Amino acid sequence: MFKVTTDVLSIDEAYDAVRRPGCGAVALFIGTVRDHHDGKKVTKISYSAFKEMAEKEFAAIASEAEKRWKVGAVYIAHRTGALQIGDASVVIAVSSAHRAEAFEGCRYAIETLKKMAPIWKEEFYETGKAWISG
Amino acid sequence: MKVAVQLFGPLAEQAGKTRLEVEGATVGEVVAATGLKLGPSVRFALNTDYVGPEAPIKEGDVVSLIPPVGGG
Repeated sequence: MFKVTTDVLSIDEAYDAVRRPGCGAVALFIGTVRDHHDGKKVTKISYSAFKEMAEKEFAAIASEAEKRWKVGAVYIAHRTGALQIGDASVVIAVSSAHRAEAFEGCRYAIETLKKMAPIWKEEFYETGKAWISG
Repeated sequence: MKVAVQLFGPLAEQAGKTRLEVEGATVGEVVAATGLKLGPSVRFALNTDYVGPEAPIKEGDVVSLIPPVGGG
């Protein structure tokens, strides 16, 4: 399942989406809103996205991961809108028969998402704000 | 041909709008016609795929300007 949503992300949904009888491993990555950046106190983050294209990129990331490693299934969800400190902004789950492929596929998915998915992050500080990339 | 252009993130903020309409037969022509000053890090999408400036435009296509992304 691949989605960009304003809803709170569900770890259970991610886990349930990738569980397979032939898979003995599920790697889960959760990106959360951090309270600092470059020495500045972050008060909140706003994410925006080109939703249709981002979801298509997520599907492409999953199919590439399936080609490179023997992964069972891939789940990628990214939240948009105003997020508070500690909120999950991205949840990725990758299942595989054995743990190495799940870890590698999950790492590949988050690193590629950060480079390719059309999603933008605006950080708000006690004074001012900034667009953050990379 | 009239082509819709979508702006996102910092580009939308700078331009003060998220959508505009210009003329052009390729993505490069469309981007030039927007008159926006774009850094080299801005990528282009035709509908929902990344493309280069040479990509030809068909009726009904939407061009998106993709400033540096920050998901995750």
